[in-house]
Amino acid sequence: MGVITRALRNVSRRKIRALLVIVALGFSMAIMMSIPASVVANQLALQGLSEDYNEIITEMEEQINKTMTLIECRLTGGFRRFMPSPFGQTSATSEQFMNESAIYDISSIEGVKDVVPFLEKSVGTTQNVEMRGRIFTMFVTDYTIVGVPLDSSLIDEYTVLPTNIIAGRNLQEGDSGVVILSLNLTEFFGASVGDQANILGRYFTVVGVYKSTDPLGLKNLYMSLSDAQAVTGLEGKISRLDVYAEDQSSINGIVSQITSLYPEFYVTTYEQRLSQLERTKETYQNMLANAESTLSQTRSVAFQVIVLSISATSLIILFTMLYNVRERTREIGILKAIGFSNSTIMSQFMLEGIVLSLMAGAIGVVVGIVGAPYLSSLLLPSINPFGSAGLSRSATLNPTTLTPTANLSQLVTGAPDLQTLLLMFGVSVLLGALGSLYPAWRASRTSPMEALRHE
Amino acid sequence: MSETILETEKLEKIYKIGGREVRALSDVNLQVKRGDFISIMGPSGSGKTTLLNILGCLDRPTYGKVILDNVDLTKVPEKELYKIRRDKVGFIFQTFNLMPYLKAVENVELPMEAAGRPKDERRKRALELLKIVGLSDRGEHRPNRLSAGEQQRVAIARALANDPDIVLADEPTGNLDGKTKLEIVRLLGRLNGEQGTTIIMVTHDSQIASQAARMLFLADGKLLEKEKKGIHFMREELMCPGCGAKLPTEAKYCFKCGVKL
Repeated sequence: MGVITRALRNVSRRKIRALLVIVALGFSMAIMMSIPASVVANQLALQGLSEDYNEIITEMEEQINKTMTLIECRLTGGFRRFMPSPFGQTSATSEQFMNESAIYDISSIEGVKDVVPFLEKSVGTTQNVEMRGRIFTMFVTDYTIVGVPLDSSLIDEYTVLPTNIIAGRNLQEGDSGVVILSLNLTEFFGASVGDQANILGRYFTVVGVYKSTDPLGLKNLYMSLSDAQAVTGLEGKISRLDVYAEDQSSINGIVSQITSLYPEFYVTTYEQRLSQLERTKETYQNMLANAESTLSQTRSVAFQVIVLSISATSLIILFTMLYNVRERTREIGILKAIGFSNSTIMSQFMLEGIVLSLMAGAIGVVVGIVGAPYLSSLLLPSINPFGSAGLSRSATLNPTTLTPTANLSQLVTGAPDLQTLLLMFGVSVLLGALGSLYPAWRASRTSPMEALRHE
Repeated sequence: MSETILETEKLEKIYKIGGREVRALSDVNLQVKRGDFISIMGPSGSGKTTLLNILGCLDRPTYGKVILDNVDLTKVPEKELYKIRRDKVGFIFQTFNLMPYLKAVENVELPMEAAGRPKDERRKRALELLKIVGLSDRGEHRPNRLSAGEQQRVAIARALANDPDIVLADEPTGNLDGKTKLEIVRLLGRLNGEQGTTIIMVTHDSQIASQAARMLFLADGKLLEKEKKGIHFMREELMCPGCGAKLPTEAKYCFKCGVKL
């Protein structure tokens, strides 16, 4: 029958009251536990986002600078290759193809050094996606076949094939019936170097795996142009032409000739790409700045919420224990009359406060684990650089695109680590002690004679 | 057994109530010998409880000395008083004052816990004491399962837990009915006779007071010298104050001279 047992018994004497207090405290504790985790998660998400953006921009700059003499020709608008959108590749239904004959027409234009044809064909399924209460039909890409001419004079000089081979080898002149896969596709095909991959019913040997640095190339696989045309049934078709000029001065002349020959072509040059890059940079910076300001708002709200819940917890304990001390004045008198010292009485009441607070801490951990994402989404402004629509779009359409909310719940949920548990334990003990300090002191100072007279 | 255990010298207690001074005790000189069973009688407001509180270190006198076991209590610092209450004094209250959430045996153990005695020893002694007060089979009961008389017996056992030099009983029978009253005061008498426990009992009930070996009277804060001899308790029997006949402890009248006990 030590002080601890007595404290436990005293807490359980008023079961309903103790329960109510513990539950109320538990929520405070849960908030204290989950809010900092959310802030950290948001911060990490933002950091990841900013790193990714920087990587994308650098990559784009490098690419653009390497290709001063490049004139890109395609049948659909946009800047597919160099201007990735954070929303991901939206659709393949708009894919259009041109005849191979364009290669020869354009090659014969004066000042053209080389023409590199590509055939890009996305393979996937059409799915209905619900977004904001409306049903959208969307094409979800499984993979994109990229057919390139395996001509060593082209693949050695220009950016035709991916460069970042991490296993096996790259494609080379004369290859047929072989592919290289983006690392992200090895799982989809269940194949790596040396294995066979079933592509639209035909088996190809995987000779290499590369790691894509282009966020839009994550699902690409490369094969020879003729293989690509054969397997997709697009014999004699191509989707894009990279036209290389002899020098920069001849670019304008070439562009005007191409557009007069093929008015339906979308043609982009170095200068256009450069100005597009600037616009992209600006967009990204705005996004990051938005996210940054939301995060700082989040931080200050989180700080306020935590200060509030700490004060609420301490106050709840303070008032509960004060009430307790008042209610048990007589008991304190008895304890003093039979020879308990002030310090023993004080430690007993403090211990009771700590027991309450520890039980609340345990509840807080449980509530925190289960409800952290809800609690934080309820209490904190959400970080979303894309706007709410953009976020869900990116999440449904391109799972590889960063989704801060997914990161958040991953980080915050799951079993808490030892550190969090110890921290919560410490916080519980501290707040219990803090809240019961004054009541316990009052209890210990009660005059035994007065206390015994108390009814 | 004639050693003086408790002595007061010119004890005064003055309360200030709303700027007016109220003299609760004045010039109280009391000598208690080891093994005494004293009852202090007086009407309510006569200062009985004040005196008892001062003797038990729950209160301090305004003037005068209290010497318990050769220690002047008025010189003991406030912070150390709990040791006196713990080791030298046992309290019995009118309202029993048991901890409602503790079993009888745990209530008896409580003062020993305060004294830091080991658990096994505590339990053994508590059971022993419960046996002495006649409750060996009630140790596991909480106070609300015990009758008033049984609760007071538990309180008596608790008062004896740390072998105090003196037991102070404040109206110990005030909340009990007639038959139980006598049982309790005779239990005190028996403890006094058998164990040599020094007891000071305060009461306004003359029948109860007369059970003590020595009766004192308190009126308006003054102790009257008129001492009256009460019943003297011996082992398992008592002595008639009228004719000196030895009687069984449960006797209500002296069968020799007919005196009401």
